[in-house]
Amino acid sequence: MATETEPQTDRETESLTLVQAVQDGLRTEMERDEDVLVMGEDVGKNGGVFRATEGLYDQFGEERVIDTPLAESGIVGTAIGMAAYGLRPVAEMQFMGFIYPAFDQIVSHAARLRTRSRGRFTCPLVVRAPYGGGIRAPEHHSESTEAMFVHQPGLKVVVPSTPADTKGLLTSAIRDPDPVLFLEPKLIYRAFREDVPVDSYEVPLGEAAVRREGSDVSVFTWGAMTRPTLEAADNLADEVDVEVVDLRTLSPLDDDTILDSFKKTGRAAVVHEAPKTGGLAGEITATIQEEALLYQEAPIERITGFDTPFPLYALEDYYLPEAARIEDGIRRAAGF
Amino acid sequence: MTQNVSVDDETARQFLEGMLRIDIFEEETKERFGEGEIPGFVHLSGGHEGSHIGMGAAMGDDDWLAVGGARLIGQYIAKGVPLPDIMAELYGRVGGSNKGHGGQMHVSDIGRKLYGHAATIGSGQNPAVGLALAEEIQETDNVAVTTIGDGGTSRGSFHTALVFAAYWDLPVVFVIENNEWAISTPAESLSPDHLSDYGIPHKMATESIDGSDVEAVYHTVSEAIERARNGGGPTVIESRVARLVPHFEGDKETYRDTDEYERLKEEKDPIENYRERLLERDIVTETGIEDMIANIETEVKEAVEFARESPEPEPEAAYDHVYRTPLYGQGENQ
Ligand SMILES: Cc1ncc(C[n+]2csc(CCOP(=O)(O)OP(=O)(O)O)c2C)c(N)n1
Repeated sequence: MATETEPQTDRETESLTLVQAVQDGLRTEMERDEDVLVMGEDVGKNGGVFRATEGLYDQFGEERVIDTPLAESGIVGTAIGMAAYGLRPVAEMQFMGFIYPAFDQIVSHAARLRTRSRGRFTCPLVVRAPYGGGIRAPEHHSESTEAMFVHQPGLKVVVPSTPADTKGLLTSAIRDPDPVLFLEPKLIYRAFREDVPVDSYEVPLGEAAVRREGSDVSVFTWGAMTRPTLEAADNLADEVDVEVVDLRTLSPLDDDTILDSFKKTGRAAVVHEAPKTGGLAGEITATIQEEALLYQEAPIERITGFDTPFPLYALEDYYLPEAARIEDGIRRAAGF
Repeated sequence: MTQNVSVDDETARQFLEGMLRIDIFEEETKERFGEGEIPGFVHLSGGHEGSHIGMGAAMGDDDWLAVGGARLIGQYIAKGVPLPDIMAELYGRVGGSNKGHGGQMHVSDIGRKLYGHAATIGSGQNPAVGLALAEEIQETDNVAVTTIGDGGTSRGSFHTALVFAAYWDLPVVFVIENNEWAISTPAESLSPDHLSDYGIPHKMATESIDGSDVEAVYHTVSEAIERARNGGGPTVIESRVARLVPHFEGDKETYRDTDEYERLKEEKDPIENYRERLLERDIVTETGIEDMIANIETEVKEAVEFARESPEPEPEAAYDHVYRTPLYGQGENQ
């Protein structure tokens, strides 16, 4: 099937929030390919607790928008079977924190089906999950455990930060021949709108986007942290020329873009919501040091959530990196 | 026609009072949430009050309650957690049962043997089995009661808990509060006639009862606890109730049939039914009930005052208790 890869400027667009772009991406792929179907808890008649599947049940019916019993292992496990058969299921986890029962299925089946069968079986599955802070509920309802999944060979992990990317990346994820975990930053589900092409298009997996060019410090981030990082970069404009790279795909990481940026600046910071210990900032730092040690001029700053379970209510504001904390980190990297 | 009253007058009045306490506390919670004073999520118990109070009354202070399902506040109250502890926790304040680190879904109270919810629906039955096994190893006659919604019974962890409880014939009482809905997922589509039938292959005692009748719940749970205490092993009880409230505040419930909903509100409100039953038999008077309500309203008001005055936790407190003894700088990246 012929696919367009980048949104074109002369296209008809619609102003959408990120969560509406999820719905739009699902809908356009379901219209294009009959094998694409959606399943999960409350996704059908109810339209999803975050309204990400609103209207799909009415448009496509109960055979393609499937309400399931409450059991994540069942949802993902069943979707794996359907994917192995050749369908293109998109399974929803109501919150990323409820993915743990499905972890066994994702790791033991989805991620390894292809390699274990030497390519005879494949698993073109997408697991969507709202993740990260933003709704002032503790633990499962707010945590970001992307590192646990990036650690699994055979699985791709994608995180959009804008509505247009959301639709394009989701389209690519659905068309991808391998399992993709598609993480949706719920903090910015409805935070802003953007013009999103009405027709279908792909934003390729595995390609980071340079959101702001700069020559002093490279800041690598993704998802909901992209906006406060850009804000911090703007606030520092008189002092430090900051480059902001939105990684968009966390597995596989776009090492080329990371290294190109770092070789230019020699200084870096990584911003993520997840706890610091064992988080992806460590992986990115190691990659830089393996490949570009001699360009390095300062310790790489990790600006992250804390090594505690995601806290309740008011403490959320301390937990999530915000512009001021990011500015401090960038200043340290710049001033070393 | 109303049913007989099968408990003594004082107990009957306590049942009514307990259910009213849940109702009034939750009405206030709903209002405070609406005003933005309580952040996060709020799930209310409307329709479950009889099931919660009947179950709580059947339990001894030394029996465990491992709570599950989403209708949790009523269960906290039924296990005797003081209203200010619950309200302050809902507010996320240090005066709360979990010092403001748990919120509405995670109230726990070791002193009252309330094992809290993890927020992962259908995962609390396995720890309940462990609590019962520990009691057995300690040679006590204490029992673990554990609740779960109809939705949670679809999870493997629940079925594994049944296997383990039966394997050692443990003193566990599984109470499935079947309110017909897991958010929008209908229990009607699950295949057992009664969800208590899940206990049958494990050769457990099973009961399916009208959970909107506080006395029926009280008697059935009491019998199951008695059996468990005396070495008779686990029981699975289906407590059939109606969810007379949205899943959480803000849920528009577009998936529900309005006529059926209205019928349930008429017929399955445990408080209204019990109130009529007691009035009809002169066990309470209208003025007696008004006094009860006035007293509870004062208790609830005091709980709100307590919560409002209690401070928010200090940010650094998030590190307390992640470990008892942090090693090698764990928790030092403030
Ligand atoms: C493992 C898991 N999946 C999904 C959720 C999100 N969720 C919260 S409550 C709920 C429905 C629970 O239904 P049920 O078990 O019947 O309890 P009830 O709401 O009726 O009390 C869902 C899907 C969750 N908390 N845990």
